[in-house]
Parts: sequence; C-alpha cells; structure tokens
Amino acid sequence: MKNLQTVPSSIGSPIKKGTAKSGRGNKLVPYLFIAPHLIIFLIFFAIPAVSGIYVAFTKWNLYSAPQWVGLTNFYEILANKDSTFYFQLHNGLFNTIKFVCFSVPFFIIIPLLLAVALNTKTYGSKIFQSIFYMPTLLSISSVILTWVFMFHRNLGPINNILGLRTNWFGQQPFTWMAIVIITLWWGIGGNMIIYLAALNSIDRSLYEAAEIDGANAIQRFFKVTIPGLKNQLAYTVVLTTIAQFNIYGQPLMFSKGGPKESTRVLMMYIRELAFGSGESIAGLASAMAVILGLCIMAVSVIQFVLMRNKD
Amino acid sequence: MRKLKKKLPKLTAFGFLIIFGIIFLIPLLWALLTSFKPEVEIQTLGYRFFPVKWTFQNFKEALFGNSAAPIGRWFFNSMFISTVHTVLALIIVSMSAYAYAKLEFKGKNFIFWALMTTMMFPSVINLIPLYKIVQTLGWIDNPLALIVPGLGGVFNIYLVRQFMLGIPKEFSEAARIDGANEWQIFTRVIIPLSRPVLTVVALFAFTGSWNDFLWPSIVMNTIEKMPLTPGLRILQGVYDIEIAHLMSSAIISIIPTFVLYLFAQKYFLNGLALSSGVKG
Repeated sequence: MKNLQTVPSSIGSPIKKGTAKSGRGNKLVPYLFIAPHLIIFLIFFAIPAVSGIYVAFTKWNLYSAPQWVGLTNFYEILANKDSTFYFQLHNGLFNTIKFVCFSVPFFIIIPLLLAVALNTKTYGSKIFQSIFYMPTLLSISSVILTWVFMFHRNLGPINNILGLRTNWFGQQPFTWMAIVIITLWWGIGGNMIIYLAALNSIDRSLYEAAEIDGANAIQRFFKVTIPGLKNQLAYTVVLTTIAQFNIYGQPLMFSKGGPKESTRVLMMYIRELAFGSGESIAGLASAMAVILGLCIMAVSVIQFVLMRNKD
Repeated sequence: MRKLKKKLPKLTAFGFLIIFGIIFLIPLLWALLTSFKPEVEIQTLGYRFFPVKWTFQNFKEALFGNSAAPIGRWFFNSMFISTVHTVLALIIVSMSAYAYAKLEFKGKNFIFWALMTTMMFPSVINLIPLYKIVQTLGWIDNPLALIVPGLGGVFNIYLVRQFMLGIPKEFSEAARIDGANEWQIFTRVIIPLSRPVLTVVALFAFTGSWNDFLWPSIVMNTIEKMPLTPGLRILQGVYDIEIAHLMSSAIISIIPTFVLYLFAQKYFLNGLALSSGVKG
C-alpha cells in the first residue's frame, strides 16, 4: 500500500472548526453511514433469500399468493420418476456438475503453468499477461459471439487448421469440449493473476536452497512453488467451483442446450420454469434453485472458513 | 554453455507463452478479420483467414441497419446503467466500509459478520423472489431494476473496510482535533486516502454491471430498453446465419471493455490480487 505514504493535500487544508457537535457524542451517526446499504440489502437480498426458501415449499405462479404444499415440490423433482420435472432436475444438475468437473481442473492447472512461465520474467511477459487476462473482462454474450464462428463446421478455423470435420454444436463429447474451451479462454486470467501475485511473494532463497540441495526444476515446483501457493490454490479451487456451478450463458448461446438436452444445465430449466413462456411454476422452480443452492453452499462454506481465518 | 543453461528456463517459458498467446489471440483476430469480410465472400469462397475485399459495411449495418437488434441503443443503455450503478456503489460502499472500519457503535461486529456470512448464500435462490419484488415496485423494463439491487452486495464493503483499517488513526484524530465531524473526516480524510481501493471497486462494479447477463434478460422485456449484454443474445437470433453481422457485432461489443482495460489495466490486476488477499 505505498499510496498511503503520500498524504493528500486535503489533509493540510483547514477544516472549518466547530461546524457540528463532536462526532463521538452522537451515537446515531454511525447508523446513518450503514443505513443506505442495509436498507437495500434487506429489500433486495435478505427478503428474497428468505422467501426463496419459503416459496420452494409452495405452489406459486408469481402472481397469486403462494400456497403451502410442504415437501410436494421436492418429492416431485427428487423422487417422482414419472415427472418431467424429475428428469429436468436430474438432467440439469448432472450436466451442471459434469461441466464443473470438466472445467475446474483446467481452471487451476493452466493458469498455474502460465503464472510460473510469466514469473520467469521472460521476454514480453507483461504483454502475455495482458493477453491472457483481457477476456475475463468480456461479457459471456460477447465471448460466445466471438467464438461461434471459430467452431463452424465448414468455414471455421478450428476444423480447417486441424483438418477435422467435427460437428462441435451437435455431437458429444465435442459440444462439451467446445464449451469448456470457450469458458477457459474467458476465465483463466483471473486465477493466473492471483497465482502470479503469490509467486512474487515466495522467498527467492527457498529456491536457491532447494537448488543447492540438488533439486531439479520439477522437484522445486512441487516442493517449493506448490506449498507456497497453498492458500491461493485452496481459494481459487473454491471460487472457481462456485463460479462454474452458475454456468448458464455458454450452453444457452452456444449449443442451446443440445444436442438432445445434453448441455441443458439446471439454471436453464429454473429460468424456463419460472420466467418462460408458459404459466410460471415459480414454486417448483424455487425448489430446484434450493437444490442447486445447496450444492453451491457446500463449497462456499469452505471459502468462508478460509476467509475468516485470514481476518 | 553455462550461459545457455542459465537462459534455458526463460526460453522454455517464452516458447510456452507464445504458443498460448497465439491460441488466445486467434478467436479475437478471426472475429475481427471476419467482420471486415463481405457476407458473400464468407459464404462462397470457403475458409480463408484474411478478407479478399475489405469492407466497413457490416459495422455500418450492425450499428444502424436493424431495428430488431439496435446495438447502438443497447450500448447507450448499458453506459447509463453501469455508470449510475458505479457511482451509487462507490458512495454506499465507502460509507458502510468507513463505519465498520473506523466508527464505534453498538452491534458493529455482529452486523458486519452477519453481512459477511451472507456472502456464501447462493444467489440462485434469491432470483425468483427478487423478480417479484422488482415487479411489485413497478421496475420491470426500468433501468432501476438493474441499478439498485446490486447495491446490496457485501463483498466490496469487506474489501474497502480492510483497506480503511490500514489507515493510521492519527489521520482522523488530527482532523477531529481540528473540529471536523465524522462526515468531514470521511469525505476529506478517509475517501482521498482510500482512492486505490475505491478505483478497484469502481472498475469491478462497472464491468460487473456491464457484463450482467441473466438478470437483465429476465427483467427487461422491451428490445429498446435492454442493455448490451443480454441484447447480444437477441441479436444472435436476429442475424442467425449472417456471419459477418454477428462478427462485427461481437467486435463492437468488445471495444468498450477493451478500451477500459487499456487505460486501467494496472488497477484491474492490482484489484484482483487485493481481493484474493495476497496483498492487502
């Protein structure tokens, strides 16, 4: 925080004396500072959060009052094998988890390798760093538009450069591969920067000591680098997992859930059931949201523990 | 020989980076080059990396040509929504963070940690009731629906509070002795000193709001009121297989973010390290 050492000029400027009572005397003032946020937080976060759980136990169409139906929604989606909603939850959740498992390992390994390479301060490393980070700032819809033509069967560079005739949009496992590749391009820059910052703070002498002890590059990577990044690795695994659980835009815009519903993720079903063209079944959609939420929450709990330990 | 051995890691790293760098740039380059190709050329000449005939026609048509996908209008909407959201976020976040970092009041730690705990609450559960609340307020198709709810976020408060905790007490004490009240200390001492972290908050608030996809596509129904990000999905349907138009639209949508990144790269990178707790 070197900026702290430069004291801004406003500190030297005289502040009018005695314009108000001493701040310490007025017990209400601090509450005025937090009130704007707290009010918005209550209306747009706390109330929806509590109601989101409540309506999962109701029959609700977004317009009339929700009717309490107990565990009916959960029975419908979790246990009633004849129900389409049972299929939707299982297919959607399975596809979501599949994507998480496909993408998260690469989201750790590739940025880690890039960070180690960048950390050698090789030629143009600042430029490379910019190139890898830039896509993270783009919106998912920009990213998909940029990429769709890459995967075009006849006219796209991927098939043409590699000499393939792959139908990336309509045949598995290629559609998942394409979605994972696009997502990696979009997102690995963030983790890369986190690792890079951490690599900078690893003590050089540890590497020198390891070298004197005869450790080769690979041994140094596993014995010095990896332990030195322990916290960041844990943090990014958790954060990336949560982020990927929220997958929605990629399959929606790239493959429209296909082929044969195989990339239709849970978020797409929830959205369709609650806000789709037919009559809303917001209660049941909320039950699905609660299930998805519980999966994410399990991961978030770990994150919170990590953060709290640091404070 | 010794010299080469010393340089070897750097050269290996460079080789690795250049391969990845090219892979990373190809999609952007491909979209850019395609956006300059006439549609006929794309459809008839087969795969070619570079345009034979360069044209600006696609950009002209994408920007002004199609009222079903008014990308210029969307751009303006996004600009307005994200700017207002960012300004309000800065005010609200810094006020709260200041109170939690520097003021003493009853229940401070309880409220703060209660807020922080909610960070792990998955937002997917809020979505449906949030829609109901926004609808009840009459905010469907209203920019307020995209500006206000996000202001309730808590992560930025955590980030700014951490920074403010690091500002020595002497600064505010000195101002207090001079007779400044809490508001004056906040605006004239703490805010100027917190500029680095507030810049980060502003950039992330702006890009976050700009890139929001799911929520605006639920609460904005009228085409002309949409922001750019969900608008692009509609555009994808409108142009369908008109590849040149899709690519020029992609490029148009990337430009603002790209320009912002060119100017503020340092802050983005610092901010990320800051929020992951490496520095701070």
